[in-house]
Amino acid sequence: MSVGDDRRAEQARKPMSDVIPPPPTTPPPADPAFVADPTVVCDGVSVWFGPKVAVTELSCSFGPGVTGLLGPNGAGKTTLMRALCGILPTNRGSIRVLGRDPRAQREAQRRLSLVPEDDAVPGAMTARQLVRYAAAIHSVADRNAPEACLATVGLLDVADRRVSAFSKGMRQRAKIAASLVTEPQVMVLDEPLNGADPVQRTALIGLFHTLGDQGRTVIISSHVLQEVERLAARQLVIVRGRLAAAGGHRAIRDALADRPRAVLVRTTEARRLAGDLLASEAVQGVTVDGDTLVVSSSHAGELAALLPVAARDAGARLREVRPLDDSLESVFRELLR
Amino acid sequence: MTDALPPPPSGPPPPAVALAAAPTTGAKLPRPFVAVVGYTLRACLPVKRWFGVLLPCVGALLFGWLTQIDARADASAFADVAEGGLFRLILPLTCLVIGDAVLGADVRSGTFPLTWLSPVPFRVIVAGRWLGGWLVALVTLVPAMVLATLVAGVPEAAGPMAVAAAAGASAYIALFLLIGVLVRRSALWSLAIVLLGEWLLGTPLTGIALVSPLWEAQQAFAGLWEYGDLIARSGMPSGWGAVLRLAILTLVALAIATWRVAHMRPLGGDD
Repeated sequence: MSVGDDRRAEQARKPMSDVIPPPPTTPPPADPAFVADPTVVCDGVSVWFGPKVAVTELSCSFGPGVTGLLGPNGAGKTTLMRALCGILPTNRGSIRVLGRDPRAQREAQRRLSLVPEDDAVPGAMTARQLVRYAAAIHSVADRNAPEACLATVGLLDVADRRVSAFSKGMRQRAKIAASLVTEPQVMVLDEPLNGADPVQRTALIGLFHTLGDQGRTVIISSHVLQEVERLAARQLVIVRGRLAAAGGHRAIRDALADRPRAVLVRTTEARRLAGDLLASEAVQGVTVDGDTLVVSSSHAGELAALLPVAARDAGARLREVRPLDDSLESVFRELLR
Repeated sequence: MTDALPPPPSGPPPPAVALAAAPTTGAKLPRPFVAVVGYTLRACLPVKRWFGVLLPCVGALLFGWLTQIDARADASAFADVAEGGLFRLILPLTCLVIGDAVLGADVRSGTFPLTWLSPVPFRVIVAGRWLGGWLVALVTLVPAMVLATLVAGVPEAAGPMAVAAAAGASAYIALFLLIGVLVRRSALWSLAIVLLGEWLLGTPLTGIALVSPLWEAQQAFAGLWEYGDLIARSGMPSGWGAVLRLAILTLVALAIATWRVAHMRPLGGDD
């Protein structure tokens, strides 16, 4: 009997559970909601407040680099971020940050930081006191780290001013400095660019990219698609507490562009233009009311190209063209269908 | 799921953030406990709160002066003032302002996550907050209560008053700190406990008085002052026995507060 035969015979004697590897309990990395080398893992997370469900059965993971959390107001982004940091307990499911439960295991907080969206900062403290306090309670060894962090966010010159006297953007930067000084491996930032002027916005985006490139897990939420595109190569879209889409810029853009969209068109030749538009595959339906058309299309890009051509062919003048349901929230909701 | 989770990364932490150059003038960073105490003094007690603390302290001096204008102007007059004014009003009200500020107000304003989201153990956070509040009481309330004895012309009561006020403030601040993490409207609840619990029920019911910082502080004073019999209450320990009970009350309140902080959702008042 050969060595290979011995092994086969030995395997045959083993119980099935030893021979067959256990099925993976984490979804394969091919799922865009998951990454291959996760530092933060959400497994079937649900969070509710009384009858209101904020996050529902959400499973995803985050790894080194910048990840954007996109979603309309009230989608559950802030709740998820708070749960990620342990401020909120999960009603169902589990969260692990660097392998630890961020709520039950205080050590997890050593390498985790949150920059909350709200304006709640101790206003009686100066920016320097705030950052030094954050450094002290995280037992930061480098005594110059607070000064360096204040300089990084451009607040060193005003570091001795009370935070209560700061503008919203400056308060945000003070919070970012207080977060940065703890040298976190996982940074969770809730709408960090709110209130920042364009120059600071660009500087902060550059800083977040640097942090991501260093191998830190940077999770940033926003309800502005373009902002998240600049911030993060990978995005997760959350709508009504559920994960609606995940992936890179293109995947999210495609998902948004291919949704059915209603466009209002006011023109001089409504009926003739409606007939021409219906001949196109990009148009799913047209309703005519006087000089107004409402065009339904699931390919917004194609419709935008088609409309001027069809108007020219029909001899019609376009007086008004506007989307009827182009609020970001409606776009996100469409993703859930 | 837990078994399938990746283990904590064992490799080296990511490189330091590419920070801007800053002058190397940073002072040494304090230890976490000292930082928490410092935060309590700086952030939890802004200028308005200090006025709230100092106002009853001025009231304490006025109560001392009341003894002087009393026709008796002796120990019995001061005993009445101490019982009705210093221990029933000044001590609880001053401690309410301080005790609510050290944690309850921080939780309500939504700034507590700054501290909660740190590796500092909860017991250290709670102890640091309590100590910060007690230090404030030691430099405001206790001197004011002692000065009241001097203004009243009973200097021999200064020592017992200092001990009773310090021990009473310790228990009261721990109690109000606990209420701050238990309920949203902590100032209202604290006031209700003083007025209904300690004044209304504590006066006739010794069982309640035995767990009341007000009555225990008064008993501590009564036991240590040579004319303490004038305000001593029967059926309760007095003097150092009462001080010990106040210390136990402090520890129990801080222990419950620590448990509560570990299980709370430290969100702002709007959440």
